[in-house]
Amino acid sequence: MDALISPLVLYSACALGAVGVALALPRKGASWRVPGALLAAIAGGVVILALGLVANASGQLPNVYFYVFSALALGAGLRVITHHRPVYSALYFILTIIASAGLYVILAAEFMAFALIIIYAGAILITYLFVIMLATQAPVEGDDEFQADYDTKAREPALAALAGFVLLAVLTTMMFGGLKSLREPPVQEAAREERLALATSPLKIERVLRDTPRRDDAGEPMHDEHGKPMMMLGPDEEIVRLPPIKGQTMVNFAAENSVLIRMPDNTTRSTNPRDWPEELQVSNVEMVGRNLLADHPGTIEIAGVILLMAMLGATVLSRRQVEIDEAAKAHEARRLHGLDEEGAAA
Amino acid sequence: MSGLGGLVIAQADYPQAMGTITLAHYLFVSGAMFALGLIGFLTRRNMIIMFLCTELMFQAAGLALIAFSRYHLNHTGQTFVIFVLTVAAAEAAMALALVILLFRKRESLNTEDWTEMSG
Repeated sequence: MDALISPLVLYSACALGAVGVALALPRKGASWRVPGALLAAIAGGVVILALGLVANASGQLPNVYFYVFSALALGAGLRVITHHRPVYSALYFILTIIASAGLYVILAAEFMAFALIIIYAGAILITYLFVIMLATQAPVEGDDEFQADYDTKAREPALAALAGFVLLAVLTTMMFGGLKSLREPPVQEAAREERLALATSPLKIERVLRDTPRRDDAGEPMHDEHGKPMMMLGPDEEIVRLPPIKGQTMVNFAAENSVLIRMPDNTTRSTNPRDWPEELQVSNVEMVGRNLLADHPGTIEIAGVILLMAMLGATVLSRRQVEIDEAAKAHEARRLHGLDEEGAAA
Repeated sequence: MSGLGGLVIAQADYPQAMGTITLAHYLFVSGAMFALGLIGFLTRRNMIIMFLCTELMFQAAGLALIAFSRYHLNHTGQTFVIFVLTVAAAEAAMALALVILLFRKRESLNTEDWTEMSG
């Protein structure tokens, strides 16, 4: 079984990356940051290029924005671990988050992309920034002499880079080897998911139809006297008027990847839900919400408990103990009282 | 109902399958990000930056989950990233509270000031 890309290329790129990252880590004296980052970028580029050649041969090249966002994410990630000022590290991490959100969008996970930006960049990283600013002495601008020693000097950069890139080499070897044993992209499962999601679609169709105007352009009423819609999708996906329907199911699930619509004259036809108009399509948010609430209701409870415990723990841990004895309390009370009296006299 | 005529959707090719080699691209980026986070965690001596590096590793795991979710067209991967975010938020809250506590004791974020905690 031959590897996806030549092991020689992969391992030498990993070694090059290790050298680059080790050089780029903060150190005292001469700064090797730029050459180190360049070496690491070349190493990453070589692997991506080798992958791209294989992908090009089989027509599976990723979206071009994949390259932009992954370069941004990895570059900013390198800067997170090499910048000697914690605040800048946190800001570069926000850049990593935003680039990752771009990758999520390419992977058709819009909801998670925006949730990532809101939760990570908007909430978690702001907490980090606050703590960094609370717990760090402000350095004099442009003067690294006053920086804390533990920020300007990495601990064992060579060994750590070796460990990290040995891990990366092993991971990529395993992953690229295992890819061949993956099932082919499962079209059947897509159909299953689609049917699952379409279980709610009759309601959606009803909603769209109910929201239609009461009269069409010609002034004909589009609902019967009970307010039931009198139209549905026609053969060419246009709206056709229906005779009033009495609680019959318009949509059935039939063959894979298709939906059977019962027509007014009791004939049926099947359409692919992918070809439906936008209002009737099921979006990523709906799919994720369905998966979250239908398949993992218990996990949501556990997540809630974890968050509650974290909140309690953080409150208890960071509470500052105010030590004040009886005499001081009495003195304080007298002072306040005196001030109040003066205020009243004035 | 003019909108019903158009077929404009954000992910028009959503249910189309993604190839294994495309998946390999995402997995490599995820692995590289994880390695960066690991190296940062091992080398930096600032406690806050160490926790930031664990967040970088969380990100790498989330990217791999979403890529596999796209490959298998199974939304459980995306759902799991929601829980990864939850755990990351809880971890950030607790870890930063501990960092504040330790900083108050010694006025330093250096992990090497706390070696006696290793027992």
